[in-house]
Order: sequence, then C-alpha cells, then structure tokens
Amino acid sequence: MEPILIILWVVVGGLLASLGAHLLPVGGAPAAMGTATGIATGTVQIMLGAAMTGLFTAASAATFTDSLLLVALSGAIGATVMICVVMLMANILYTFGCGIVPVSGRVDVDPLTKEPQAPYKTPQTDGHGVPNVVYVSGMLGGFVGGFGGALMYFALLNYADFTAGTAAIGSLSIFVPNAIIAAYNIRGTIEGFHDPKFKRLPFAMVTSLVVSLLCGIMVVIASYLTVGGTM
Amino acid sequence: MTVTPAVVEEEPTKKGLSFKLPLDETEMGLVAGIVAAIVVVFTGLPVVIKGIALILAFLWGMDSVRKTSKYGLGTGVPSIGVLATGFGVVGALVGLALAKYGSIDGVAYPAVLVGVILMGVIGLVSGILSNNEKVIAMKIPKLERAMMELGMAGTLIILLECSIVTGSLNFNAVVNQVLNTGLIAFMFIFTCFGLLHPYNACLGPDENRERTRMVAVEIAGLICAFLGFAMIILSSFSWELGSIVSVTISSPWKLWNGVSLLIFGLAVWAYFFRMFIKACMDEAYETVGTGMIKTIE
Repeated sequence: MEPILIILWVVVGGLLASLGAHLLPVGGAPAAMGTATGIATGTVQIMLGAAMTGLFTAASAATFTDSLLLVALSGAIGATVMICVVMLMANILYTFGCGIVPVSGRVDVDPLTKEPQAPYKTPQTDGHGVPNVVYVSGMLGGFVGGFGGALMYFALLNYADFTAGTAAIGSLSIFVPNAIIAAYNIRGTIEGFHDPKFKRLPFAMVTSLVVSLLCGIMVVIASYLTVGGTM
Repeated sequence: MTVTPAVVEEEPTKKGLSFKLPLDETEMGLVAGIVAAIVVVFTGLPVVIKGIALILAFLWGMDSVRKTSKYGLGTGVPSIGVLATGFGVVGALVGLALAKYGSIDGVAYPAVLVGVILMGVIGLVSGILSNNEKVIAMKIPKLERAMMELGMAGTLIILLECSIVTGSLNFNAVVNQVLNTGLIAFMFIFTCFGLLHPYNACLGPDENRERTRMVAVEIAGLICAFLGFAMIILSSFSWELGSIVSVTISSPWKLWNGVSLLIFGLAVWAYFFRMFIKACMDEAYETVGTGMIKTIE
C-alpha cells in the first residue's frame, strides 16, 4: 500500500474527470428537440457511460499488465470509442431523421476547419447535431475522462490492493461526484473547448480537487484498515 | 365507424389525499437516520426489519433530492441521485473497513457509523463548495445540508443493502458475497433509481410530497424484492469465479429470510403502486379513457 500514490492518482483522476465533463458535447433536453448542439442527454449519463466503458477496457487490460500507462490508455481508448459512436449516431439521427445540418450555435466560424456556421443555423435555435469542432472536443473529453477513470482504477487495484470488483466500483463512485460537480459548474449544456462556459473550468477544478482529495483519504483509510485481509 | 365511449362518465370529484405519512422533512430525516443507523449496527435482526429501515432511508434520501431539485439544478434530477449513490459507495467501503473495531461478530458493528459520519463531512464540504459564491455558485438554499444528508442516506442505504444480503458487515463476507459476485453493480444502479426516480417521475407544477413519497416507498419495495431474490440465489448455489475466489454459501437461514423479504417487498410494491395510481386518479381533474386506437379505412 502506498498512500501518497493512491491520493495522487485519485486526485489526478478526479481532475481529469472534471476536465473531461467540460469537453463533452452535452445537449440536454433542448438537443432532444434538435434545438441545441450536442448529445441529447445530461452530463451524468454521457460521462457515466463513457467512464464505465473505459473501466471495462481498463479492467481487461489490467488482468495481463502492471503498466500504469497501458491500463490508463486502454481506459481512455474505450471511453473515446464509446463517445465517438454515440456522437456519430446522434449525427446520423439528426441529419437523416430530422433533416438538419450539424452546426455550432456558439461560434460563427468553426475554429478548427474555418467552416461558416451561422448561415446554416435555424433562427432561434442554439445549433444542431455534432459539428466538427464539437466532435473533436467530445473525442478529447472521452479520452481525458476515460484516462482519469482508469488511473483511479489502477491506483485502487494495485496500490490500495483492492479486488477487481471493489476497485471498479470504488473508482466509479469517486468518478461520479467529480463529473457531476463539473456538470453543475457548466449549468446543463456545453459544446466543448470553444464554448464561453469553458472559461468556468477553474471553479470546477478547485471543487474537484477538494472532493477527490477527501475521497482519496477515505480510500487510504479503507485500504490501511484492511491490509492483510483478502481485500 | 364507431368509437368506444369514454370510460368515466360521472362528474369527477376532487377528493383529498387518501394517504398521509405524518412527518415533515426534518422529522423524517431524524427518524429515518436514527432508525436506519440502529438497524445498520445490529445485523442480526430479521431482514424484514432491515427492509423497513431501507424504506425509511430511501424516503429520507428522496426528501433531500426533492428539496434540492425543486430549485432547478440545470442538469436534471438524476445527477443528484447518482451523486448520492457515488458518495454512498465510498462511505460504505470505509464503514466496512472500520467494521471490525468494537464488533460482536454477526451481531453488532457500531464502527460502521464512522463511515456514515465521514461521508456526511465530505457531502457537507462539496455542498459548501458548490453553493459558495466564489466557486460554483449554484445558489440553491440549504444545498449544504441536503448534500450532507444525501451522503449519509446513500451510505446508510448501501450498508443496509450489504447487511441484508450478507447477514453481517464483516468486510471479507461483504467482499465475497456482494462485491465479487457483481451484485454491487445492481445495487448501485437500483439505489440511484430509488433516490432519483420518485422526484424525477413526479416533478411538475402539481407535484406534491405525499404522492412522490408513495413512489419512493414503492421503489424501495421493489428493491427489497430484488434483494430477497438475490439472497435466495446466494443461499442455494455455490460457484467458482475463475481463479479469483470461490463462493460457497448454503444456509437455510438465508433462504427463509430471502423468501420473507421477497414476499414483503412484493407486498409493499403492490400496495403502494395501487395507492399511487389511485392518488393520481383522485387528484387529476378528470380521467377519461380514449378507447382503442382506430385505423381509418
């Protein structure tokens, strides 16, 4: 058991979870009607789905390797694949089902591809679907979030000596409050790193730091008390 | 083409509520917290009593979710329920790790309550940070208290569920029977829904607390039935999970407790589901049937 490493990786994982939640294209209820950019559900559902997929891939990688980077990267890849498939399906549904083009509502020109956005936006809406810049941002968000979740899983599995099941549910439980606090910070919907709300990131980071530090200390207590057991 | 006539023809009379749980929010929190804490400590009690404590704890959590979500979180009601469960699992892990101190094996584990208190502290800290003007500034009245209560209620619920399934709060027993069997995944998601679903389903302009609480009791009943089923499975089967651990449990005590909890849960669910539907019918202005959908030829 290595208390410093446990706390360090849990805190880093919590901060990455918070950052990942800010990068995801969260559309919420307006997106369900096609009147806002992003995936049509809340941060919690998207982030929980991505984190769980990431934990599955990380857990399968952790059965045959002891390398922190490999486990964390496989978690990140799992979460990225999941979020990319969801964004692609959202785009297919919006374009072929509703007949609307993916367009950002927050910027007039796509910051990455320089494509014009404003002329294609339906008046009085906040964008539709998942346009290029939002897609890239969502990919990054999935990668960062999955990386954070897998880091926590690795720390709980190898440094705190939990069993695989305990480590998975423990890391998910620490991941979830961090993602939700980030969701409260962005007040429901966000497009990605080009969104003005992204500037609120430091506030969520401070809260996330404190919460995951406390959770890390809890994990160290639990690990310390059960050392020598079959945990 | 004939259309089936509407089912209700008499003039509707708006009746009062047929059911009232007597306690207000603060009293409910105190009663549920104390009862659930006592039942958590004494694991030797029959499971039906633990089931009643579980229902009380769910009512407490539901009240906290309701009073927070009333003001609009911006991310939907589910977020706060999932937050409570996440806190609950971490708190339960610490509580279980502490359980061996001052315990009488199979009878009483007073030290688990330290986990509940620690989680209350974390909930309070996150509530203060979320509500602080300089940090996240959610501006929800009494968010600090609600988050503290959610952390404590979540921890109590997870501990009660572990205690129901395992029959003790011995760390290794819980790890073998709850965590390594994967039962914790079901518990996680069911607890989320027990906390978030009542208010999420009932919210709207005419939401009222009594009706929302019926849903909470109903879901808690379903969770009891599920846990009873899990106990029956765990009591009569033995299997190996790869090379990690082997689970061999065969106890008639657990089987009969499981059956009683299953029956109790189903009875609670059926009674409160019927009551909820009746309350909705009574409180609606009018309930009319539209008949079957007709195809136009």
